[in-house]
Amino acid sequence: MFDNYVFTKGSCKNVEKDGKVIGFSLSTLITYYRGIPCSMIHDIKVIVDGQEVDRKDIRFSPNGEDYFTLYELETVTTYKWEYGEQASIFVEKDGGLLAGEHEITLTTAIRVAYIPVPFAGSKTRKVTIASNN
Amino acid sequence: MSQIKRSVSMYSLQDNYARGKMSLEDIFRFLSDLDVGMELISDQMIKGAPCPTAATLNKWDELVDKYQMDLVCNDIFINTCLYKNRTLTTKESTDLLIREIKQAHRLGFSLVRLVSMTPPEIIEPALPYAQKYNVSLALEIHAGMSFDHPMTKAFIDLIHKLNSPYVGIVVDTGIFCRRHPRVSSNYFRNQGTSEAVIQYIDDIFASGTDPKRFYKKHGGYPKELSALFKNEMDETYAMFADGYEMSELSILDEHMPYIKHFHGKIYEMTDAGVEYSIPFDELIKYLDKKDYHGYISTEYEGNRFVLPGEEMKEKEQVIMHQEMLKKYIDALNS
Repeated sequence: MFDNYVFTKGSCKNVEKDGKVIGFSLSTLITYYRGIPCSMIHDIKVIVDGQEVDRKDIRFSPNGEDYFTLYELETVTTYKWEYGEQASIFVEKDGGLLAGEHEITLTTAIRVAYIPVPFAGSKTRKVTIASNN
Repeated sequence: MSQIKRSVSMYSLQDNYARGKMSLEDIFRFLSDLDVGMELISDQMIKGAPCPTAATLNKWDELVDKYQMDLVCNDIFINTCLYKNRTLTTKESTDLLIREIKQAHRLGFSLVRLVSMTPPEIIEPALPYAQKYNVSLALEIHAGMSFDHPMTKAFIDLIHKLNSPYVGIVVDTGIFCRRHPRVSSNYFRNQGTSEAVIQYIDDIFASGTDPKRFYKKHGGYPKELSALFKNEMDETYAMFADGYEMSELSILDEHMPYIKHFHGKIYEMTDAGVEYSIPFDELIKYLDKKDYHGYISTEYEGNRFVLPGEEMKEKEQVIMHQEMLKKYIDALNS
């Protein structure tokens, strides 16, 4: 029901730092109809070509500037993930995604006070990473 | 002369806003053109809510002033699940409510909608603030969690106990469904729900009751329904079906004195200009007889059920619903 908001099309790309590819990032809208404090993000999962990414390698940023691990997110009450704002999810991975086509699934789940189970949304996209050469 | 007034909940325009197709100003203009009041969800369209920056507030003030907007209700949420490892205490939740009351007042609202399941025990300690800031607190009566729900019952008991003009309820018209919304059926059909399960639920409504009451009578899903579950989406559909209730309008009789507002829930306005599931013509006649003076806000929820690749028609659906409401209200006055 909120799946159409997960994993913004065309957002997945490798991330370079100091001339080295250190991972990849993708963007997503919230799977809800309002903004929430980041501590209410219950879980984020990334699957690359059938392989689930270790959750300690995932970072979340509500504003593209400040990044938090999923463990840190549990206490991040002063930053909000605003409605309609693209959050950035970074996956730490030496060399990033290899050139070529990948199938990537992003799942986000948030806690909502009036619903007993976390609200989740999931989207799988085919992503093509261009060769650097 | 009927005193029933019209407004639009921002829930109805969420996709347009999220995708950047409508800015907050576009929304003000849209409502102004429709000549209706605004129901806001501050967590949705006010950045930094419930503590927005001065710049955000100034922009809001400018828009309210420019469009002379009638501010009807702000929908708020108490984030009792703020932390993963515990639920907020009553004191913490009360402080959040007080902050929301102050924000509502600052934005120009004198009514806030508390979402279903808001803990009743935070109301009494916040009541002095409701009075001071002239902001009424009204619990939403929503299908699936309506009058028979223990937390709703506890809230209604509290209303009687406090007997304050600052405490009441907001009724969501999803409690008056005469049949299961077919846009939802189509959505779940597309997700894999079996035809037999969809038909079974439709038959429950056709028999004159709703899934919630029907399941309750059978102590859960009836055996013949469970036997139809062939995949996960079958049970999901049966579970979500209890979120559409078929109550009689007269269920409101005893609650009229403290009904502050209505969410005019719509799932689908048909080409015939009526809501597929909910009899708004009967509702408006009923409310007029009861001398209801408040608003009905269009709350379009069909945006949840748009199929992949299908066009989202939030604005069109809102306009159709408003035209229908206007027609029914005008008919009372002619």
